[in-house]
Amino acid sequence: MAEQPDLSVHLGRGLRLRSPVMVASGTFGYGFDAPLVDRTALGAIVTKGTTPRAREGNAPTRIAETPSGMLNAIGLQNPGVDHVAGIYAPMWAAWDVPVIVNVAGDAVDDYVGVARRLDGVAGVAGLELNISCPNIANGLQFGIDPRPAAQLTTAVRAVTRLPLLVKLTPNVTDIVAVGRAVEDAGADAVSAINTYVGMAIDVRRRRPVLSRGSGGLSGPAIKPLALHAVWQLSAALSIPVVGIGGILKRARLNEINVLRAFLLTARGAGAFPQLLLAHRLLLPGEDLVEVEFRLLARRRRQTARGAGGQGVLRRSRRAIAVTS
Amino acid sequence: MSLALKPAVVLERSTPMSGAVELVVHHPPAAAALRPGQFFQLAVAAPQTILRRPYSAAWADPDSGRIGFIFNVVGAGSGWLAVRHEGHELDLLGPLGRGFDLDGSKPAIIVAGGLGVAVFPGVVGALVARGRQVTVLLGARTSAQLLPSGRFPGAEVMTATDDGTAGYQGSVVDLMPVALGRFPPPQGEGRGGGPEIFACGPTPMMQALLEKSRRLGVPLGLIQVSLETPMGCGVGTCLGCAIARPGDGYLLTCLDGPCVRADRIDWSRTADAFHG
Repeated sequence: MAEQPDLSVHLGRGLRLRSPVMVASGTFGYGFDAPLVDRTALGAIVTKGTTPRAREGNAPTRIAETPSGMLNAIGLQNPGVDHVAGIYAPMWAAWDVPVIVNVAGDAVDDYVGVARRLDGVAGVAGLELNISCPNIANGLQFGIDPRPAAQLTTAVRAVTRLPLLVKLTPNVTDIVAVGRAVEDAGADAVSAINTYVGMAIDVRRRRPVLSRGSGGLSGPAIKPLALHAVWQLSAALSIPVVGIGGILKRARLNEINVLRAFLLTARGAGAFPQLLLAHRLLLPGEDLVEVEFRLLARRRRQTARGAGGQGVLRRSRRAIAVTS
Repeated sequence: MSLALKPAVVLERSTPMSGAVELVVHHPPAAAALRPGQFFQLAVAAPQTILRRPYSAAWADPDSGRIGFIFNVVGAGSGWLAVRHEGHELDLLGPLGRGFDLDGSKPAIIVAGGLGVAVFPGVVGALVARGRQVTVLLGARTSAQLLPSGRFPGAEVMTATDDGTAGYQGSVVDLMPVALGRFPPPQGEGRGGGPEIFACGPTPMMQALLEKSRRLGVPLGLIQVSLETPMGCGVGTCLGCAIARPGDGYLLTCLDGPCVRADRIDWSRTADAFHG
């Protein structure tokens, strides 16, 4: 049997993932409830959004399937950071896959409090700042404007030594401006993208399907949009870009668990053939990681070798065209 | 948790009652693991769908490895399932969730409205096998939509139809006083006396059942219901299938249900948790 190839990628501050495939926040809980998914094949687990205190979440109805997609308005139901730090983290510490905690809140102090509480806690490998939740009041306030996004990132950066990812919202005029702002403020990587705000109507009942009226759209419906955001960001930023959105194949998994599984499109993400192998390790015979994301990863690597912005553009246009 | 990893194979497709389809599939490990009332997440390949569909098993036979599903066609997913036939493979995940608690000794009254009957053939079989006295109250719009009473061997079946084409004309819930009248009355909330009730049906029927039960003095703790809510993952990760519990917060239909005692639900905050 051939020697296992090196699929590892680096997310910054010493966080090394053995494979570039992770599960996106909200698709995998805190890593305990997903049968059929081989944790050890993942590069990392990103948890459900975690707040200072427990949240019960939104009233039902919380989800709705839409053409090639799904709306959700869960409302950050989570047990609160003390439970995560005290109960979950010690269990994660025994796992051989890094766990990145997604951090959410209503105010800067919420994020800072969660980050401070988790700093130095064994089992927590990194933080992902959720400045892009469309499903709580003010959930998008930090994500839609570069200045508050940078201020929040700076504040959190000051209280944690953990690798810091910032998860961006696509519900903006210019995602690159927000990405640049959080990079300058000390983010080690950005995750792109969170869901698009959308809604569905129950025609029979003459009202929105979701109790909040609107929710966040994920799934294959948004994949072309996600790819474009990742393309823009990876051309403009020098930190790793984690691509999320619509990565889904009919696998012998529960689909939602891989609904937003993602692939790192990072500088130094490893050679293209290795990335191909990564998904084979996850799901033999199944095409988990979409070709387009892999090609973006390859382009990013070429960028890292010194290609200029325009060169990047041309190359990736050609690359994407090959697959379509 | 035992989970089906290999596809099931469809053995039979039939029409058990007007508008419904019954698929019988072969999957010995899942058939052996199933407890009455549990559900499976069935993968459907209908265009533009991405989520599995949760279906309670109608029944299972561990000896032959067969599992039955009864459903009607309401959308793209069930439409795709409805045209499966012998030899097709079916990708199922499960059994999942909590089934009914069948371990009591009281007589049992089943209240099934419309397609809510789909979960009960196996439940009734298991209750009868435990030596419990079972009365099945079956309701439908019209006689052609009633599952034949022969599907409930060992149980007494009473029927109600909205149009009076079979049995009592009116709601199946109206049969409750008759069925309850045969047994000593319940003794308050302590679950002493009286029969135990198992129910599944459309939301208006379930609300009528709960109201009728309150008036008849049947404690909610003696009523077990099978919930149906929108569902994403089916295994507790997505938190999409929330249903309000008394006080604050929510249960998850997929993990805490689908079968729960009625006193675990805050009905005042629950608008629609059953078959539409």
